[in-house]
Amino acid sequence: MLELRLVQGSLLKKVLESIKDLVNDANFDCSTTGFSLQAMDSSHVALVSLLLRSEGFEHYRCDRNLSMGMNLGNMSKMLKCAGNDDIITIKADDGGDTVTFMFESPKQDKIADFEMKLMDIDSEHLGIPDAEYHSIVRMPSNEFSRICKDLSTIGDTVVISVTKEGVKFSTAGDIGTANIVLRQNTTVDKPEDAIVIEMNEPVSLSFALRYMNSFTKATPLSDTVTISLSSELPVVVEYKVAEMGYIRYYLAPKIEEDEEDKA
Amino acid sequence: MGIKGLTKLLADNAPSAMKEQKFESYFGRKIAVDASMSIYQFLIVVGRAGTEMLTNEAGEVTSHLQGMFNRTIRLLEAGIKPVYVFDGKPPELKRQELAKRYSKRADATADLSGAIEAGNKEDIEKYSKRTVKVTKQHNDDCKRLLKLMGVPVVEATSEAEAQCAALCKAGKVCIVSSVLISGVLLTVYGVASEDMDSLTFGAPKFLRHLMDPSSRKIPVMEFDVAKILEELQLTMDQFIDLCILSGCDYCDSIRGIGGQTALKLIRQHGSIETILENINKERYQIPEEWPYNEARKLFKEPDVLTDEEQLDIKWTSPDEEGIVQFLVNENGFNIDRVTKAVEKIKSAKNKSSQGRLESFFKPIASSSVPAKRKVCLL
Repeated sequence: MLELRLVQGSLLKKVLESIKDLVNDANFDCSTTGFSLQAMDSSHVALVSLLLRSEGFEHYRCDRNLSMGMNLGNMSKMLKCAGNDDIITIKADDGGDTVTFMFESPKQDKIADFEMKLMDIDSEHLGIPDAEYHSIVRMPSNEFSRICKDLSTIGDTVVISVTKEGVKFSTAGDIGTANIVLRQNTTVDKPEDAIVIEMNEPVSLSFALRYMNSFTKATPLSDTVTISLSSELPVVVEYKVAEMGYIRYYLAPKIEEDEEDKA
Repeated sequence: MGIKGLTKLLADNAPSAMKEQKFESYFGRKIAVDASMSIYQFLIVVGRAGTEMLTNEAGEVTSHLQGMFNRTIRLLEAGIKPVYVFDGKPPELKRQELAKRYSKRADATADLSGAIEAGNKEDIEKYSKRTVKVTKQHNDDCKRLLKLMGVPVVEATSEAEAQCAALCKAGKVCIVSSVLISGVLLTVYGVASEDMDSLTFGAPKFLRHLMDPSSRKIPVMEFDVAKILEELQLTMDQFIDLCILSGCDYCDSIRGIGGQTALKLIRQHGSIETILENINKERYQIPEEWPYNEARKLFKEPDVLTDEEQLDIKWTSPDEEGIVQFLVNENGFNIDRVTKAVEKIKSAKNKSSQGRLESFFKPIASSSVPAKRKVCLL
């Protein structure tokens, strides 16, 4: 038996919007700690990891660990039927083959039940080790989204370099090149507008902008985004989901061809 | 060719060991391809109409070049890194099988001339396909083309299939030890072939339909040996025995025993020896000279190259001038098409530099219980 009641239903709607373009089908895992998902895109380049901790739900009941396979496109269709102020409850029975989304209007005068068929999804779960990152950049999420969008009009790969000067996003394409440098800036009126750069070691990595752009679909969830980089690891782009959890996107870097030839 | 009826046997008895995969999902993978089998397919399919085939001005067949060129570009564009493995000298035991194929071809040639006389179009096409033989010239042409394209070629000492599997196995070992550190050469992810021998040679992962034309839209089928053994509840040695009993290229099988019976017998008795002791010899005629032990040895210890020096697997930039010279000037390909294709190779090279997450994170077992259990209706 599973019953999760989320007062701020719009969060779930936004969560779905931010992952459905990257992943078609995925297993949602429910345990006593929370409601989570880990899924890779079909080419195994990007991974999304979602956690909504149980404390964030008004009511959270999960009798035993359960994994529910869902088509995210279909789930999104159903969640779109919920109003932005609605309370969303997710319900499922052990061994059942459906999940129910219940939408309650704030005034409790309308209750809608949407039942969706579950799928049997065979997916690999990757173990992600806790790592110390060489550089961590925190910045306004809409600024990051803007940069990715702008750069993708010029080229298809972004090089992100962190030095003591700041963080540089650069690209090159047929029509020319672009460089955007952000400097640390903590003297702002609102804390979410700050740009905070923690650099332990300088790094420079290349990524496909196509994926970065799809990560920025999570921008409505959070005012800030945290980008963690290490030269030997995939980048992590993290958006906090209110006080209750996070969406983390992992993206494998592009590898310099020369290095491989030498090897 | 290969192991008789193995695909069906596996589909019936080990369904979860077979996975349908999208072609695109193999991007970034190094894949060993059985070249001879591919060339054979190209000669049959590419640009054929009746007995007519694609030829250059001198009248030499170029179907294999056309096929190899386009199909390889398709792999490269998908970010796959192919290694082509060519057959070496066939093992002694295969002589008999090869002689059979030779005589079939001779029959087909006779049938073909009959059909041409009778003017039956369907028959002409049918029989002319059967007369196809991959010659040394075809192989050499393809090797030259691949080298120009910057795609590595491995010449097996004996069976290409066995060599592919060996590459794959070696890769498996390297993956654990040192891929990320030193980028050891032999890290081929899967073996692509239409011949089911690969499994018996112990390729850990095996793909079918990878080389099929995109127009057919057939998903790639991935076989996982560890899972097959788990589902069939056999050891690798027993699996090899099963394949020999089902019928392989190296020796006859017992009349009246097909895949299903063979599986039952192996499960019951454990090995060919014990089966022979217990089987009803009246009902099943065991061939008088049955070199199953030699066949077994060929599967278990095939004659393959393992020296890293000889297996120089490297993907390099294409030699544009060389390709144009070979395909356009010598074989009458359209220059515009060839230059466009070379551009594709170059841009694909760029794409293949995208890393995969699995090279950083390793799969772990999930602890959750699926809400929906797969219900088997059969």
